[in-house]
Amino acid sequence: MSDFLETTVDKFTFKVATDRSYNAEGVWAKEENGRVRIGLSDFVQQRSGDVAFAEIKPAGTALAVGEELAVIETIKVNISYTSPVNGKIVEVNPAMKDAPEAINQDPYGAGWLVVLEVADWGAERAKLLDPQAYFKIMKGQAEEEVKKL
Amino acid sequence: MNAPIQKVIIVPCSGIGKPYGSVSREAAYEVTEDLRPGQTQLVPLALLVLGDEESRSIVATCPAVTIDGCKLACAAKMVQQSGGTIAQEFAVLDVYRRYKDLKPLGIAELNEGGQKLARVLAKEVTAVVDGLITGKQGGENA
Repeated sequence: MSDFLETTVDKFTFKVATDRSYNAEGVWAKEENGRVRIGLSDFVQQRSGDVAFAEIKPAGTALAVGEELAVIETIKVNISYTSPVNGKIVEVNPAMKDAPEAINQDPYGAGWLVVLEVADWGAERAKLLDPQAYFKIMKGQAEEEVKKL
Repeated sequence: MNAPIQKVIIVPCSGIGKPYGSVSREAAYEVTEDLRPGQTQLVPLALLVLGDEESRSIVATCPAVTIDGCKLACAAKMVQQSGGTIAQEFAVLDVYRRYKDLKPLGIAELNEGGQKLARVLAKEVTAVVDGLITGKQGGENA
């Protein structure tokens, strides 16, 4: 069970799970038994809106940091998300095909995107943000978004 | 034995300025003005929000079909808060997921995809209305 850092900006409440690492885009990475599960943060899913479709690179795809991992189509926009780590996709969340709304409903759980095989998680993690650092960035991004409303 | 249903209330999203809200309203207009004008009546969400007595009374006495543009589901929530009975909830996004080539765009005027999606949605709503009026279970999505 994840613990969360939480902030409320205007009428919106955003959570950051404390058991994983993040990039500044809000893509999270969580090590599990030698592999790394990837997904989107709560702030990212709320900012993006209801997900209509998720097109994710297939299993077997090798990804370098910054290469496109998935394109998410929401009721507002189409957004491309990039891999936060170097690795090879070994599993794609089957729910993304028929029920991509899992990204909105459970971004840190059932709404995960892929599992990657990563050669050196320690080195990869060192390049990512810890939850506190991402929380600070996310809070700033959320405050900027609210100003646009 | 229940009295036969004479009229079904259609309550669409009021998301002015958003394509999915526009699709919900276009579908509601098509059902209430063109496809089943005698059996349906559109109740604007804004009137329910404002507590309009006539609208609340209609919603409280006739089954409602709600059409929401986003997961906030304002139409469904307002019908419930107004004491109404929801016979079927529709979400534009659910229909779009089944018709990926009909992406709704545009605000003041929907693009062709959005207009087609509204017509598809209107047909699904009509099937539910027919099911309610005839006493049979609603359409394929009911």
